[in-house]
Amino acid sequence: MSSAISSLRILPADTGVSSLQPATDSSQPGFRDILHSAIDDIQQLEGQAETKVAGVIDGNGADVHSAMIAVEKADLSFQLMMQVRNKIVSAYQEISRMQF
Amino acid sequence: MNLFGMLEVSGSALAAERWRAEVVSANMANAETTRTPQGGAYRRQLVVFRARPLPRFPMMLASLHHPQLEGVRVDRIVGDATPLPTRYQPGHPDADASGYVTYPNVNPVMEMTDLLSAVRAYQLNASAVQAAKTMIQQSLQILS
Repeated sequence: MSSAISSLRILPADTGVSSLQPATDSSQPGFRDILHSAIDDIQQLEGQAETKVAGVIDGNGADVHSAMIAVEKADLSFQLMMQVRNKIVSAYQEISRMQF
Repeated sequence: MNLFGMLEVSGSALAAERWRAEVVSANMANAETTRTPQGGAYRRQLVVFRARPLPRFPMMLASLHHPQLEGVRVDRIVGDATPLPTRYQPGHPDADASGYVTYPNVNPVMEMTDLLSAVRAYQLNASAVQAAKTMIQQSLQILS
């Protein structure tokens, strides 16, 4: 009887719980780190946009178009970050609604 | 290819065209100038453009860089070498011994057409910026 069940092998016999550890334990950057660096980049772009707009307003010789392009870059990066975040949150909600 | 590569290229072109318009306005302003710091009459200024490889940004959105992508910059501003015209004005303080005053080689009609050309080129590159923005927004729509 037991040999008949084990011969079915629905699950691999060597599936260990240790393989389900969070990725942060390994030396490779996890998704969290990638998201963090992305947010840092966006913050940097927003800082650049702010500096350029301030330069245009107080007349430091900054070009209007470069300020507008910097603002647009910051806006587009933020939109991209928001889309990724929405996707992650919806995936999380999908998982939390899962019934066992 | 950088996500913002198009914006960078068009931005450099906008800066170059704005500079060209500035030089043309300086020519128009000095169309009758007979005294300059270098001495003599004002000489018409011309801009020389040069292709410039874009600076690369180490960013998450710029993982791959296209090496052939080049923007534009103003290489230098040179004086127009055409001879300066003279007018007979004996009473003018800058007149020479025979009563002739040397004037700048600025032709208002040429400057006006140059200005129009710079403005149109600026519009062209501004449209390219708009197109780049629309393209990026379209690609963001894929995820929603």
